[in-house]
Amino acid sequence: MMDWLRQSFHRLRSVFRRTPLDRELDAELAAHLELAIEDNLQRGMPADEARRQALIRFGGTEQAKEQHREVRGVPAMDTLFQDLRYAVRGLLKSPGFTAATVLTLALGIAVNATMFSLVSAFLLRRPPGHEPERVAVVTSINPASGFLADANPVSAPNYLAWRGANDVFADMAAGDEYRTVSLTSLGQPEALPSAAVSSNYFTLLGVSAELGRTFRDGEDQSGRDHVVILSHDLWERHFGSDASLIGSTIRLSRENYTVIGVMPANFRLLGFTPQLWTPLVLTASDQTTAARKDRSLYLFGRLKSGVTLEQARAKLVTLARRAGENFPEAEKGWGAAVRTLPDFLVYDFAIRSALAVMMTTVGFVLMIACANVAGLLLARAARRRKELAIRIALGAGRLRIVRQLLTEGLMIAFLGGNMGLLLAHWGINFVRASMTFNEAISAVPLSLDSNVLLFTLGVSLVCALLCGLAPALKGSQTDVNTSLKDEGRAASTGRSHSRLRTVLVTGEIALALFLLIGTGLLFRGIFLIEHQNLGFRADHLLTAGVTLDNARYKDPSQQTLFVRDLISRLQQIPSTEAVAVASDLPATGPGTVTLQIKGQPELPAGQRLSTVDVLVSIDYFRAAGIPLLRGRAFTETDNATGPRVVVVNQEFVRRHLHDQEPLGKQIRLDVSGSTSEWNEIVGVVGNVKTHSEGTNDDPEVYEPFLQRPASSFSLIVRATCDPNSLSSALRGTVAQVDAELPLARVMSMPALIERQKGGDPFFVRVLGGFAILALILAAIGIYGLVAYSVGQRTHEIGIRMALGAKSPDVLCMILRDGMKMAAIGAAVGLAMALPLPKIFDALFYGLHLREPLLYFIVPAAIFLVAVLATYIPARRATRVDPMVALRQD
Amino acid sequence: MAESKLDLLQGTLDLMVLQTLTTMGSLHGYGIARRIEQVSADNVLLNQGTIYASLVRLQQRGWISGEWGTSSNNRKAKFYSITKKGRKHLSEDAAHWQRLSMVMGRVLAMQDEGGDQ
Repeated sequence: MMDWLRQSFHRLRSVFRRTPLDRELDAELAAHLELAIEDNLQRGMPADEARRQALIRFGGTEQAKEQHREVRGVPAMDTLFQDLRYAVRGLLKSPGFTAATVLTLALGIAVNATMFSLVSAFLLRRPPGHEPERVAVVTSINPASGFLADANPVSAPNYLAWRGANDVFADMAAGDEYRTVSLTSLGQPEALPSAAVSSNYFTLLGVSAELGRTFRDGEDQSGRDHVVILSHDLWERHFGSDASLIGSTIRLSRENYTVIGVMPANFRLLGFTPQLWTPLVLTASDQTTAARKDRSLYLFGRLKSGVTLEQARAKLVTLARRAGENFPEAEKGWGAAVRTLPDFLVYDFAIRSALAVMMTTVGFVLMIACANVAGLLLARAARRRKELAIRIALGAGRLRIVRQLLTEGLMIAFLGGNMGLLLAHWGINFVRASMTFNEAISAVPLSLDSNVLLFTLGVSLVCALLCGLAPALKGSQTDVNTSLKDEGRAASTGRSHSRLRTVLVTGEIALALFLLIGTGLLFRGIFLIEHQNLGFRADHLLTAGVTLDNARYKDPSQQTLFVRDLISRLQQIPSTEAVAVASDLPATGPGTVTLQIKGQPELPAGQRLSTVDVLVSIDYFRAAGIPLLRGRAFTETDNATGPRVVVVNQEFVRRHLHDQEPLGKQIRLDVSGSTSEWNEIVGVVGNVKTHSEGTNDDPEVYEPFLQRPASSFSLIVRATCDPNSLSSALRGTVAQVDAELPLARVMSMPALIERQKGGDPFFVRVLGGFAILALILAAIGIYGLVAYSVGQRTHEIGIRMALGAKSPDVLCMILRDGMKMAAIGAAVGLAMALPLPKIFDALFYGLHLREPLLYFIVPAAIFLVAVLATYIPARRATRVDPMVALRQD
Repeated sequence: MAESKLDLLQGTLDLMVLQTLTTMGSLHGYGIARRIEQVSADNVLLNQGTIYASLVRLQQRGWISGEWGTSSNNRKAKFYSITKKGRKHLSEDAAHWQRLSMVMGRVLAMQDEGGDQ
């Protein structure tokens, strides 16, 4: 082994020390000959003979030198350097060709690298902490299917039961990751996203504080729980990075908390973006059966050594089934899902499918770019046929020729890759500046990290192979005799060359068509969503989020009191038309619940009916502008003491009641807090889209807020003027009721919808940009290849015309060839694009696209481009004087 | 074909060079080539030039070392001498060749007997 290493080292070194080694060898060989001649002279030979004999015995100095070089060095590397030198010379000789190919590849590589930086940042980044892949995240599976139904949080009783009963985790922690607290400083309350976590949360994840400490055992006990850990961001933004903050007291939701630590800036769990952490306190009331319907905890378990994720999953599924058997009323049909922490974060963030679409698109762009470059190289190889033939005739091996042409491809890919990285640097900056539509996304840093660099290297190599291989193989097949003989006077270029070009052009047309249809579908989808009737009037609505803290509003009656008081005060603000509260704003994706309808047989778990469930105050339908179609809306008498009532939407009547008379029907919702009473349907309202970014109409149930109050809800105010002008009055009124209660997200409904959709229009715009890039590249490629092959046929056209062919005939002939390629390419692309609407349905939640027209327009447009790309050079060819064409060398 | 010289088997030249250097001490390329020709009584087909490929290979393996010096008749030449590692390798290789040639001799003798019967 050592010997081998040593020899390899010497060999490698000698590649780079060629000249001094050669010089020494020359001296040694000269000495050898002189010694031999002297010997021969001493033996009595005449001078001439002595020299002749010495040379004969030596046997060829050049051979000896070549042998020497081969033994001492690495012949492959010598060849590589030679090829590289040759390639650089060749590329420098035709700067136009070089610029075109390098730029094309650079564009293709740049868009790939830019998009891959998203993949790297969102999907490949390892979560912080110790061995995150050994941390399992346990979630519930909601039997009422919906968005991410199998990443539903878990209830406190299940957390406690599963923590005690499992034997697969060394330790288990829980986090309520989506709480809101108000931080009061200088008399101004501010609502902040926070998390309440068990005291072992940070220890389990294996992270420690940047400053101070994390929670200690026992700090999740009532009385010792007034400690808080800040995020690096909050500490910097709100407290000016003051290190002496540790140990001091801040006011959170009306109570004093001691700051014990600050987490480092890199402690980030993708979709979870709390600004501060407080201990999660579980009391006796969190162990009651009623608490089973309050699902708000994400569970984290560190796998015992030797235990696999599969075993953990099996265990938790069993535990969930046991819970279902013991508490059928609350747990029936609910399951448990177990994922590793990295997997869970990516899954919960739900960005994978969008990134998959993006990467596929840019992959196609790259393929088109490669096809262009391969086409150009092929055309060049055809021009260099004679040169290659001469080199083969002079003894160059075919393998050597292949290697040389591949080296050229490598050179171009290398230059393209470098330039692509430069462009990607700007691209990433642009994407970073554009992706600010929500906290979680803008919190993830994008950069040209090592993953992206590695990816770019890989892509460049693939490009080199894709671009260089076809011309290389063709080049090696050069037939020496015909190539040298034909003197460039071939009536038409080699069949195989033109066949390969045809394949390239056809492929490019197919890919471009596929991309255009895909993007067209997405554009259409976004257009539909932007212009759809959401089912309520978003204009003139001001909204704000309120979270009532436990310190003052623990009791439902206090919550009701607050809402009544606030609404009556808000109604007195001038130019307000209607005021209401709701557990979820319209079209913001409210939660779904399962239900049962009286008189219908109870369905097994997993098949139970489900519906969107919203709690609303009396004036909600009027304020939101949702039309009441039948029956009545809620009134003052629909309160805690009155009979329980609900209002449903049309879709509910259609899907769940099969269009039977809805009024008077009784339903029972599987929700927390309700005592499983039957609710009577008293009214029917129009459908509201479940998500403003989707086209779904789902069954909806509205419950009166007074009958089931909640601590977290949104305010909506219908204004007769610009709603934004009311925001200070809104804040002022809330402060009158409670000076320490912050309002979150005070913004108009249209602004809220815009923010909610943020991601999709951005993605579609980027995709659209890529598709246009692809079309331009493909058009250039098609034009270039067709123009080149028509140019090659100038001679043939000259002969045809000299023999009497009319120029329209020739034009027709060339156009026919072009159209054939376009037709085949379009057919292939169309076949590829046919399943696209189905795929998009699966990828984009709630988007239903069927655009048959697109499948006619796009192919027609592509066909037109292809025909034009053929027509222009063909026309030029027919105008050439036959005499000139025939004389052409 | 009786007059034709022996073609050198792969690796035998290296062994010859090592053995020559062991017995002769420090020697230049020409000297090594001459010595091998003399010892083999001109039975070996040796282009003297090929010795240099062997020399560089042995040098890279660290079995011999080379140094420029002056010959007895005052000519500058590169002188090679065997290293400690080279000696060790030679003793292993020589044993191997001796066994091989012994076995070959026996095998070929056996064939002769078989032909008689």
